[in-house]
Amino acid sequence: MSPSQPRLQLDYFDGHSARPQAAEIWLSDGHLHLSAGAEAQYAAGDVRWPERQRHGQRQAQLPDGGLLSCADAAAWDAWAQGSGLRDSVTVRWMQSWRRVLLALVLLLALVFAAWRWGAPLAAGLIVRALPASVEQQIGSQALDYLDQHWLKPSMLHLARREQITKRFEQLVRASEPDRPPLRYQLHFRAGDRQLGPNAFALPGGEIVLTDALVELLHDSPDALQGVLAHELGHVHHQHGLRMAFQAGLIGALAGLVVGDFSAVLAGLPALLAQQAYSRDFEREADMQAYQMLGRDGVSPRVMLQFFERVAAIEARQGAAPQLLSSHPATPERIAYFSQ
Amino acid sequence: MTTLTAGISPVLAPAFAHSVLPDLATTRFKRRLDIEFTGSGSEYFRIWVVNLLLTLVTLGLYLPFAKARRLSYFYANTQVDGQALAFHGNPWRMFRGFVLLALLMLAYGVAGRFSPVAGLIAFGLLCAVWPALWRAGLQFRLSNTSWRGLRLGFRGDLIGAYRCMLPTYLPAMLMVVCQFLWAPRGQQPPEDPAFYAVVTFGPLLLLFALLPWGLALLKRYQHGGYVFADQQTRLSASIASFYGLGLKGMLVSLGPIVLAGIGAAVLIPLAQSGALSKVAALVFIAGLALLAYLLFFVITMSYFGARLQNLVWCKTGSAALQFDSQLSARALAWLNLKNWVLTGVTLGLYRPFAAINTLQLRLSAMKVTVDADIDAWVAQAGAAQHDATGEAAGDFFGIDMGL
Repeated sequence: MSPSQPRLQLDYFDGHSARPQAAEIWLSDGHLHLSAGAEAQYAAGDVRWPERQRHGQRQAQLPDGGLLSCADAAAWDAWAQGSGLRDSVTVRWMQSWRRVLLALVLLLALVFAAWRWGAPLAAGLIVRALPASVEQQIGSQALDYLDQHWLKPSMLHLARREQITKRFEQLVRASEPDRPPLRYQLHFRAGDRQLGPNAFALPGGEIVLTDALVELLHDSPDALQGVLAHELGHVHHQHGLRMAFQAGLIGALAGLVVGDFSAVLAGLPALLAQQAYSRDFEREADMQAYQMLGRDGVSPRVMLQFFERVAAIEARQGAAPQLLSSHPATPERIAYFSQ
Repeated sequence: MTTLTAGISPVLAPAFAHSVLPDLATTRFKRRLDIEFTGSGSEYFRIWVVNLLLTLVTLGLYLPFAKARRLSYFYANTQVDGQALAFHGNPWRMFRGFVLLALLMLAYGVAGRFSPVAGLIAFGLLCAVWPALWRAGLQFRLSNTSWRGLRLGFRGDLIGAYRCMLPTYLPAMLMVVCQFLWAPRGQQPPEDPAFYAVVTFGPLLLLFALLPWGLALLKRYQHGGYVFADQQTRLSASIASFYGLGLKGMLVSLGPIVLAGIGAAVLIPLAQSGALSKVAALVFIAGLALLAYLLFFVITMSYFGARLQNLVWCKTGSAALQFDSQLSARALAWLNLKNWVLTGVTLGLYRPFAAINTLQLRLSAMKVTVDADIDAWVAQAGAAQHDATGEAAGDFFGIDMGL
């Protein structure tokens, strides 16, 4: 033992008795030496050393259950430094405001990247790995649920329904002549006033359209086909399942940050992210509708009629602001289909 | 050494101050142990940021290590009678428990997504293992906490953990069974509305009515199992006192509900009268609802949080230890309001400051009186290591030590 090694006076608890013992410690040749009545030594690597902090007591846990406790944190830190005990990288980061700010910037960048690219990428991988049968089962269960609680059978004439279905088959075949056709199924349903003129796609290719939508576009069958093509875009890109997984991942991410604090606060970013993702999906689906109509020789401008009529309904009922909306603003969509 | 005498303050009951000297044999050691929390918000903020960054970079795998660091910091800053608590949990053991539980939760989440029946089965399984996990979590946390070099412990038995969940579990099971057997299918109205109301709301009412009883059993089990040296605590609070807390809490929560109702009654017609545009009215009403929601939770949660801590800890004691808690519900409500608003405004960055402030308030309300020579206390044999899965489960479900 070299006399130059710094020594520290502290309390020692042997792990069997609650009585503190005055003790002296020093480090030499990779061992912690303890002098408290009797002497003992421990390999420095077996000791659980405290992390350096500004506040709190310093406690070192010995492998035999003993505990060194030093109330004078500054004295401990001086001793540890003089003895050559090094802070871990993590501790050095935590003790420097500059690096903490850097960590904060990295953190925000990471959260943004996870939101913008990470979650969509991961959700895409999961969805692609999922067997088609599972997706179809989820879709048909969702449809059953909607049929039980929201939707009523369609009142449209069978002939009219068949006409719409046939026309859509043509459109699909014309747009993808060399690829096997996408599995989809049109379902005609009547909804309540709240649902209004509407169409939506469920996982597995179930496309539901309401009687009110058919009525709204009764004089513009091509616009109706455009809406259906938009829904087929959702089916094609598996948007329903992607959304479930993306929102789930964002919810888990938010839960990591503030979840143990407030479930509402954790749910809010998930909700906002879901709306933003939804607008991305709508743009993708619009692109599909634009292409399908174009390949069939129909001008995409037929969709303008649909937007005008929906805008008229929205003006009567009042629309939600963009941040809370699941669709891109109508002028943006009108501009897209006017190209 | 200063640490040996710090915080010693003899407790003299008022009666003793005027009458004859007390019997020395029983009160020679009687004194109050001060509890002091010295954690700092700005320091915990730095720990939190680095922990969070590492957790995100490792896709969550760092979580148990971050937790061990967080607990070590909290414990090193919790001084009882001048000696800090110490956390001994091995992060690698905690990691194993964390992975196990994460897989369990993943299976549970996936099952629910694919089929309601599978989800129901998974839920049932989770309920079946939950009390055992909860007990394992208490064992792990306590046996990895030490004060003055002695490990604490938890001595509640497995059957007890299941027994104290019964008042919650039985009505919940009844509810599931009733829903499964008699819930109306599709859009056709129920054949017998009265019967339907009974089977739907009966179990719910039962669950609600038994809630205080369940909480009492839960806390009795929890606070009846804490061990330090040869001291085992017990909770002497009556079941009636939990019902009292529940009733008072309901009365307190009526305040914000009535206020929100009055606000809605006055403001919604105003908004509909055409003074505001549709969008402005929507935003206005949403903001009002958010405010009412915030106020409701600040008031009721603070009331329950403070009063439950006081009820439970004032009645917790062992042969030589007596705990006391005088937490003001009003102080907690103000702190919660401040914490929530600032956490929201800073998009979560205030979170570590909020955690430190809350601990500070809750711990400074606590006291322990001891009537024995602590120096003479020794560890009991068989302070074993325990499984960390329960600890992780406690985190997932937000179970804490009631403090």
